Parts: sequence; C-alpha cells; structure tokens
Amino acid sequence: MAWVSGQYAVRSVGRNVRRTILSIAGIAIGCVLALFMESMNRGHGELFARAGSASGVGHVRVVPAGWRERRDSRLRLADWQADLASARAIPGVTFATARARAQALLAVGTHVVPVELAGVQPEIEPHTFRYVQKMHEGRYLRAGETGNIVLGRALVNRLTADLDDDIVATTVGPKGDIQSALFRLVGIVETGNDDSDSAVCQVALEDLQHLTQFPGAGEVSVILGDYRQIDAVRAQLASRVATGDDVMTLSEIAPDIEGHLNQDAAVTRFVSWIILLIVLLGVASAQLAAVLERRREFAVLAALGMSGPRLVGLVVQEALLLGAGGAALAIVAGVPLVWKFAHTGLDFRRYVGGSYSFQGVLFDPVVYGDFGWWIVWYIGAVSMGATIAASLYPAWYAARTDPAVALRVAQ
Amino acid sequence: MSEHVVLARGLTKSFEGGREPVWALRGVDLEVGPGEFLALVGPSGSGKTTLLNLLGALDVPTGGELTVLGQHVASLSKLARARMRLHSIGFVFQAYNLVPVLTARENVEFVLELQGLGEGRRDRALAVLAELGLGDLADRRTNELSGGQQQRVAVARAVASRPKLVLADEPTANLDGENAEILMHLMRDLRDRHGMTFIFSTHDPRVVAHAVRIVTLVDGRVSKDEPREPTS
Repeated sequence: MAWVSGQYAVRSVGRNVRRTILSIAGIAIGCVLALFMESMNRGHGELFARAGSASGVGHVRVVPAGWRERRDSRLRLADWQADLASARAIPGVTFATARARAQALLAVGTHVVPVELAGVQPEIEPHTFRYVQKMHEGRYLRAGETGNIVLGRALVNRLTADLDDDIVATTVGPKGDIQSALFRLVGIVETGNDDSDSAVCQVALEDLQHLTQFPGAGEVSVILGDYRQIDAVRAQLASRVATGDDVMTLSEIAPDIEGHLNQDAAVTRFVSWIILLIVLLGVASAQLAAVLERRREFAVLAALGMSGPRLVGLVVQEALLLGAGGAALAIVAGVPLVWKFAHTGLDFRRYVGGSYSFQGVLFDPVVYGDFGWWIVWYIGAVSMGATIAASLYPAWYAARTDPAVALRVAQ
Repeated sequence: MSEHVVLARGLTKSFEGGREPVWALRGVDLEVGPGEFLALVGPSGSGKTTLLNLLGALDVPTGGELTVLGQHVASLSKLARARMRLHSIGFVFQAYNLVPVLTARENVEFVLELQGLGEGRRDRALAVLAELGLGDLADRRTNELSGGQQQRVAVARAVASRPKLVLADEPTANLDGENAEILMHLMRDLRDRHGMTFIFSTHDPRVVAHAVRIVTLVDGRVSKDEPREPTS
C-alpha cells in the first residue's frame, strides 16, 4: 500500500516546477563543483606518487638502520643485494634499484660546487628517476662503464663545465680521510627547472663505492605499478629485508611534500565547502519560500493533528526528493566531466611554465583527477546532506506554525 | 472521568493587542454532552471561532477551566494536544482547506495514515466518501470538485476516524443554499448513525434550523443557551 504522505511529498515538489528545476539544477551544480574538487584532491595522492616516482624518492624505500632518524648519506644497508632481490620479488613492484649517496665537492678549474653525489645502477635508474630521461646534451651512464658522470644543467653552469670536461669529485672517507676521483662529464640533464637540475649528479654505483671507500648501497628505491599498494608492499617488504634494514614509504621520506599537497587539498576542500554553503543557502531559501506559501496548509495539517516532528519529516522528505533529483543530474553531468579530468588531466602549464618543483621534487603541471565508484556515494552524500541541512530551518519554521494563528490570519 | 464531551467554566481568552489585551472570551460556561448537534451563533467578533479553537485544543485558554473529552486542555503539552486532535477531534473549516495536490480519497486517507492506520485505511476512506455521496469522485483532485463537494470531502476527512467530537467553523459559509442544506443533512445523519458530537458556528439561519441546541455568544459571553427541535 502506497503511503499518502510520500505521494504528498512527491506532488508538492511538483507544485512549482520552475522552482523545483532551479533547486535541482543548483544542487547539481554545487555537487559537480564539489565533485570536481574532490577528484582533484584525491588526484593529489596520484600526483604525489607520480612526483615521488619521477624524482627518485620511490614509492617505498629500503633504508639502513638509523637513517630514519639521522638521514645520514654515509649509512649503508646491511645486505643491499638481498634487499634488492626481495623487493623485485614482490608482486606489484615495477622497478627496484640500489643507490648510494655521498656529500661531495665537484670542481672544474677554480669552480667548486657542493653536491649530493649519487651512485646508481645505470640500467635501472632512468626508470626510477625520470629526470635523467631528459638528456639535453650527451648521453646517460651505461651499465658496466666507470669514470663517467651525468650532471644537471644548473650544476654544469655553476661549474662552467662543458660536455667531456674532466670533473674532480672530492669527498670524505670512512676515517675522515679526503678521497678524490676524476670523472668525465658525459651527459647534461635539463628538466627545465633549476632546483631539479641541481639534484642531478650521478655516477655508477661502483664508482661511488670506490670514491667514498664505503662499500654497498645506502638505499633500495622501489617503484610500484599502483601507488595505492604502497602500504601493502611496505608491509611485505618489511618482513623480507635484511635484519636491521628499515622500510619507509614516500610519505615518510618526504613529509614536507605531502604536507604541501595536503595544504593544497585543505584549501580546495575549503573552497568546496564555500560552494556547498552557497548552494545550501539557495536551496534553503527556495524551501523556505515554499513553506511560507503553504503556511495555511501546514496550519491545517497541524490542526488535524500532525505533530511538529512529522511536519519536519514532511518538509525534509520533500527536500530529499530535490536532493535525489540533484544527485541524478550531478551524476549525469559530473561523471563525464570527472572521467575526462581523470584521463586527460588539467594542464596548468600556461600558469606555472613547463614544470614546477617543491623541495627539489619536480611536479608535473598536468594534474589528473581521480575517478572511481566513490563518485556515486560522494554525490549521493553531498546532495542529500546539503539538502537535508538546507531543509532543516524551513522544516523547523513549518513545525512552529501555530494552527490557530495561521488559520485566523488566513481567514 | 466526566461524561461531558465539553465542560467549560468561566472560560476566558485574551490576545495581545497593543497596550491592552483584547478579550475574545470573557467567562464562558458551557456543557456539551455526547451526541449533541450544537450551533454556536452570534455576531462577528463574538468569540465563536476562538471558542471553537479552544474546544479543538488548537489553543489554550487564558483563564477558567476547560475539559474536552475528559482532558484538561490547559495542562496538555503541544504534542499531547496534537495527539488529541488527531485521534479524538474532527475539524471542518470554512474554506474547506483540503490538500490541493491530493485526491479526495487521499485527503481522507492521509489523516487515517497519520493516525497510524495501516491495512484497510483506503477502504475506510472510500467507505466514508461513499457515505457522503462522493464514491464516484474519490480519485478526483480536490480542485476538480465543486465547493459543495469539497466541503463534503472535508467532512469525510473529519469523520473518517469516527472522532467523538467534530468542530465546524462556518461550514456552509462558502456554499449556496442547496449545498448548505445537503451538507447539514449529511452531518446530522452522521451524528445520528455514529453518535458523534457536532459543534458548529454559523450565521446562517437555514443551518441553525438543523441544530438541536443553539448557544448564542455575544461579546465573549454566552447570552442564550436553548435546546430546540430541528425544523429542517
């Protein structure tokens, strides 16, 4: 048996078609804008992961004992080859590579520049540190060869070096002794961003071990096919690495970058709330107008014995119908929009140039949104939540109707 | 428990009106028993509607005592008064006041639904409408009905749950003579068949002719209270 109160709510929504359409359109527009921003926020996770994988940080990293606290580049893994093999054996791991780092001074003639020199595995490194794919001059390091170095354009400029120049690298050995080696500049990387270029200073892993006299590697950097598997892979890897070695995630390694993105996300969310608030006030205004127009009707219902809470329920029920309409329209309009956003991205190149960096990490100016089933519940929750919230004051106003006064005034 | 449907003693009601309160009722004494068919008459502003509002627990008195169906109206909460109206009192308004987006049947059924009636409420609504000669019009929207038909729907809505007391405020004011006559006959039939108490306010002498008791209000007081034989 159909409930008359339900039919009453449905037909009441249809009383003023223009107002209903405008309310539904308002709810839908608010939902789509909020959805777009939420998609962008969720896409921040992907952006962070993409930046992490491109900048050599890695999604997950095996680090030596004590590195988490001290971040000392001289620390070495207990068994880097075993850690590397363990990482590569985990499903979902796309690339894993070992590196060692050292604080060094590079010199060409009288020009000296302090750098963090990285010893890498040349055959894997371009897959885990995409900056080095952007060779501007020369070539990248090759597996098996030694004595070569690749630098970023900013370092090359400071050293006033040219391709094929000999560069002296000096560092401090395990006992505090000065160690030096001569490298030939075989490639110059140009990312388009000075900060990022300054972070590119690579030699073969064997060369770094030889230069510093520290054996082994200081990290195993892991790239995943799906960044959402970070926590799962970290857990698996933690149980497999050599005793004493530690496993950290991208967020733990680069908390400042994540904080920066979280701040962006908070601003976006704030803007979403403002949009929703404006929509909510619009819907509340339309609902209040509808309640005022029907004051006499509500007075009659109250006179017939409809209690305040039931009157509130009636108005909220009508609001839910508007919310459902708004949600349906928002899904129709919002899903293709967010799908496009997720697949082709939003290109900020016009505003920030070719790329932008934060703390040496190069971010792609094309931002992609997130697309998934969450859209349906998000739109449902936002539109229903907003319309219920918008209907509360009109509903309370309707419930306060004094039947005797309203009927007296109406007559 | 009182046997009276209505028992009023020294009933007063005032409204805020500028510096001085405006007294609509100035000490009404009234006893109404079960099954009465009572007409409240009097000039405009004599307090008829105010008295009906108090009897219907739509409002609370300023002073005096008022017991309706054994309940002290002044001591009831807003929710309790709403419950009392829903389950024990039927209302018929001058301007019909039907819900325009519902059909005749749905208007009647809505009140039954509010009362919590589940199965059978549709049949009950249809039966009451048929009793009032509206069986064929049950599925018409109320704005498709004539004034007389709408007022009969309003009566059907008021009596569908067999309340003990039905209050009607100028029920024939918007009806022509013929429809007024039909409505009064129907109301009297309902009272005769179901033993409901009807109290209605009116200015119309043809309506008064149906009453078995006439209470005349003047300036917020009962000036005359006389039983009579209905002439119609």
